[in-house]
Amino acid sequence: MSKEPLEFTLNGQKESISILPRTRLIDVLRNELGLTGTKEGCGTGDCGSCTVLLDNQPVNSCMMFGLQARGRHVTSIEGLSQNGELHPIQQAMMDHGGIQCGFCTPGMVLSLKSLLHEKSTPNEDEIREAISSNLCRCTGYKKIIEAALSVAKTSSLSSVTKEDNNIIGSSMVRGDAEEKVTGGSVYAQDVSFPNMIFGVLLRSEHPHAKILSIDTSDAELIPGVKAIVCGREVDMGLYGYELRDHQIFALDKVRYIGEPIAAVAATSLDIAYEASAKIKVTYDPLPAVFDPEDAIKTEAPLVHDDANAYELDWETERSGNLCYKLNLSDGDIEEGFSQADFIVEGSYETPVAHAGAIEPHCSTARVDSTGRATIWTTTQKPFVFRSYLASALKRPLNKFKIVPTHIGGGFGGKLFPSLEPYAVLLAEKARLPVQMVLTREEEMACALLRHPSKVKLKTGVKSDGTLVAQSARMIFNTGAYGFYGPNTAALASLMVTGPYRIPNLDVTGLVVYTNTVPNGSIRAPGAPQLAFAVEAQLEKVARTIGMDSLEFRLKNAWDEGDVTCLGQKLESVSIKECLTKAADAINWNEKREPGVGKGLACLWWVSGQWGTQTLIESNEDGSFRLINGCVDMGTGGLSSSVIQMAADGLEVRPELIQLVRGDTDNLPWDHGHGGSRTVFTIGESAYDAAINLKQQILKEGADFFGLPLDQVYISEERLCVRGDPSQSVSLSKICFDRHKKHGGPMVGVSSSLPQPPPTTKDHPIGGFSAASFCAHAVELSADRDTGEVVVKRYAAAHDVGRAINPAGCEGQIEGGVAMGLGLALMEELVEQKGKIVNPTFADYLLLTAEDMPEIETILVEKPSKEGHFGVKGVGEPPIAPPTGAVANALMSAFDIDVTSLPLSSEEIARLIRERHHDQ
Amino acid sequence: MINNFNFLQAKNIKHAVDVLAREERVCPVVGGTNVLVNMKRGPLPVDTILDLSGLSALRSITTDDGIISLGAGVNVAELLEWSKANSVAAELFSPMCSEFAGPLIRNLATVGGNICDASPASDLAPPLLALDASVVLASKAREIRKIKLADFFQGVRLTDRLPDELMTHIEFQQPNDERFYYYKLGKRKADAISIVSVAISIKYDKEKVKRARIALGASAPIPFRSKSAEEVLFEKAMDPQIVDSAAAAAVADSNPIDDHRASAEYRRRMIEVLIKRGLTKIADERVNSR
Repeated sequence: MSKEPLEFTLNGQKESISILPRTRLIDVLRNELGLTGTKEGCGTGDCGSCTVLLDNQPVNSCMMFGLQARGRHVTSIEGLSQNGELHPIQQAMMDHGGIQCGFCTPGMVLSLKSLLHEKSTPNEDEIREAISSNLCRCTGYKKIIEAALSVAKTSSLSSVTKEDNNIIGSSMVRGDAEEKVTGGSVYAQDVSFPNMIFGVLLRSEHPHAKILSIDTSDAELIPGVKAIVCGREVDMGLYGYELRDHQIFALDKVRYIGEPIAAVAATSLDIAYEASAKIKVTYDPLPAVFDPEDAIKTEAPLVHDDANAYELDWETERSGNLCYKLNLSDGDIEEGFSQADFIVEGSYETPVAHAGAIEPHCSTARVDSTGRATIWTTTQKPFVFRSYLASALKRPLNKFKIVPTHIGGGFGGKLFPSLEPYAVLLAEKARLPVQMVLTREEEMACALLRHPSKVKLKTGVKSDGTLVAQSARMIFNTGAYGFYGPNTAALASLMVTGPYRIPNLDVTGLVVYTNTVPNGSIRAPGAPQLAFAVEAQLEKVARTIGMDSLEFRLKNAWDEGDVTCLGQKLESVSIKECLTKAADAINWNEKREPGVGKGLACLWWVSGQWGTQTLIESNEDGSFRLINGCVDMGTGGLSSSVIQMAADGLEVRPELIQLVRGDTDNLPWDHGHGGSRTVFTIGESAYDAAINLKQQILKEGADFFGLPLDQVYISEERLCVRGDPSQSVSLSKICFDRHKKHGGPMVGVSSSLPQPPPTTKDHPIGGFSAASFCAHAVELSADRDTGEVVVKRYAAAHDVGRAINPAGCEGQIEGGVAMGLGLALMEELVEQKGKIVNPTFADYLLLTAEDMPEIETILVEKPSKEGHFGVKGVGEPPIAPPTGAVANALMSAFDIDVTSLPLSSEEIARLIRERHHDQ
Repeated sequence: MINNFNFLQAKNIKHAVDVLAREERVCPVVGGTNVLVNMKRGPLPVDTILDLSGLSALRSITTDDGIISLGAGVNVAELLEWSKANSVAAELFSPMCSEFAGPLIRNLATVGGNICDASPASDLAPPLLALDASVVLASKAREIRKIKLADFFQGVRLTDRLPDELMTHIEFQQPNDERFYYYKLGKRKADAISIVSVAISIKYDKEKVKRARIALGASAPIPFRSKSAEEVLFEKAMDPQIVDSAAAAAVADSNPIDDHRASAEYRRRMIEVLIKRGLTKIADERVNSR
């Protein structure tokens, strides 16, 4: 096929190029013209990240042939700002916190720009509709809608002006906002090198089968194929998180549909796919097991011949397909139940779910002449990835350099290597840079997913509403490999009490291997599963004893000084305040119409620890560089809050502190972005580094004036003398002198590893640092016949300890609620005999802007006693309570028992029909 | 994996039908939203993409002597604008168009593409079936051919269109005193694939139903009209019993699938619920409007 001419107008400029007929418009922009602001999230028109304007109308550029643009006007994000001036909607998106990971931002901005072009003053419904094709996984749309409304109201450039000079508690615009809103941020898929080739994986078609042979000879003959790698030629090590049971290629047998068998790199993606289809794998199918309850039976086929042989950091009993078992008890369960006036039992199930980041996994690797690999990749944990790769490929750690790109949404989906080892092996063999991208279908069906759960609860309660005992049997299907299975069960075990006093407890957690896709550690692992089970169970208990749901929860909720099941004495407890505020926000006590229900759910969660190191270095002009090895996955924790905390320590404007982006060669070590730790751990570390640096600056100032240290202070970028306003020197002079005249640049350093609070019992997770609390309340109605739900009001009250950046905290909560409502109502990967049958954004449904309800976000600030600021992590918790709150609202509206997620229209209609079938 | 093909841009309808007559394995395209998704799933049996997006003749909506003609190249956003401005069967077109995929796809996807793709869950088909529309096909070899939409659908993604034919437009009689109902049941509010969709057109003669058209989407391998339900209603007053019988008859005519979006059982129940609702709403409105 030959190239055809394409002439069109792009961002006001005539373009004249030649392309192959099958080239899509998105490829014209990204590959032919190098404009990478247009993103590819799915390639099937289901996410909107590729939105461009075609003659002023927004369209999916992945859904058009490039040649169809002949003679037409195309606007991409790069063409939106004029003469260096941002379009008002771009400015508003920055000012209102409408940007998190930034991957959907260009498309979102263009859809809004088109709307504002058509209608100068659109209302909220029109805004929601206009962006209903643009999926955003981070924000919950609220701040995007506010941004659009602000432009609509004034129809001129309007910014949020803040007179407040406080650094802490101000909703500072994140440092990378302008870069993201103009489409300039480099994501993994935007990395490109001359001579770069493209890699794909050949994956297992069987859930469980012996591999008899792999024949690559035909594939190798295809022109353009540069490298084929399979397991037999690689010295593979076992690797994993707390459990090391995984190798990068299936060797003797495959254990799940989608398990990598071989990798192919070729000069084009088409050739790579063609070659991978020509690799002949002969299988001998084995009996497979998919349900964890079946898998723990003695006669079940074994997913791993000897699960006990794998290294596991935690003690456990393992046998057959049992990957990990956890027991946790408190008090005396028999005694507890004997005190109960009522005993309520319930079973709860949750499905496989996906992290749902709009950006698919992508990695590009280049191997130098010494065999050292550099990997540009989308990762939440660049440093930990080095160790994983070192173990997986049995090489020294320093053979890998990870360059983290901007992340188009993480949510725990990017905590583990996905394409990195294959890209390295292919690049090494081909001696060329290799790029690999997961297709959306691979992303949904083969990436590490959220553990499905089955939870059985038995609860004892006194007739006055006092909870006295609860037993739980939790079973988590970890899929074919352990990954974060043990960790998920261990975290989940601490969710069994919820933030409630339950003095007698008995928990069994089972993590089971099956021939299904392995599961990972998605945002708040175990929490949405248990928040659903525990809160629905408590609803049932409240109904049994005839007590109001709010009153019942308030009666049992933790107070200051209460002790958890591990014996952790709780401090700074705010759950009752959260509950009351959330319930008030939806007028809990007002009379309810028939078919309308209200529901509550609570959670407690950890602020993650793990080691980090922060350096803050002075520049010669009196500005600073903040250097930390974590990478902001989109939350803004690093690019706003951490900077604010450093600025507070240094007593300078946050604008003077630049966040350094780098790689594992030039940044100090950090554990990574996850576990609700960024602001708690890294922010505190940045503050300590700032204090360390400030001492050095003050010492310079004291020497300059010949005064004692305590006589100088920093104000308005100057070093001043106490009690003598006439004497001061600029910070820039002090810094300049250190750089150029004596001493060398100043650097503040902090290396830290926060320790969990003490407990009286041993547990793999242990005490929760800076424990956070939250409560959600929802009001909804449902159609009795069709089961369709309308969420009328939603309120989320979160104790964040201290809101360093309030808009940032709200953004985490609103985005988390959107994700949690998705889990409650529509998100489910359907597995049939080990195969995921709905691996697209057309059938794995994230909430759109039209589905997202009005939400009231309530920040409660009860500072933690840990750390200088008292912050509590807020990244993960918001996703969990929506599952329980929605379930409870439906239970109360229709007097039904809810037992599984998602609560699809079909499921709701079935529950109502079966309950009221005789009436 | 996207396969290779030639790309031809049609200069006019004559040129388009010439290409269709001359070349083998031609795929006519206006928006491209179906073709590009299908190609991503595997190579299509296509050697030539025939781009019709430049043909203004396909992009008009006209009314001539009581016949409304929707060009095959009219996109869903344009159809929505037209239905708002002209209030022709707006009770069918407005909700259908505004719930069709999302706004981005609506700016590309067309009447012809949605009909010729012949998905069982086609959003356009039920309203057009309820209007008793006919597909108009042009070819080089033969006269213009008109075929009822109800007969055009032959199976899942299979139509009566011959390889050398071009769908130029779809036409229907301008409604006169009909009452309409439309409902699409999806799994979320925007950008959803229908679980079941229902379009109803009722024409009364005094108190009795003179003509009923009950169309269903995602309820069988093809979008279809429930003749049994229509017969139940024929020349009857729409009392609750008749409504129930009509809904039951529509369920009996249906043959929905069991898949990850919904069970066949739920789809059958919803066909019944939605048809009852639609007929009841139409009957109530008639009472209220007297």
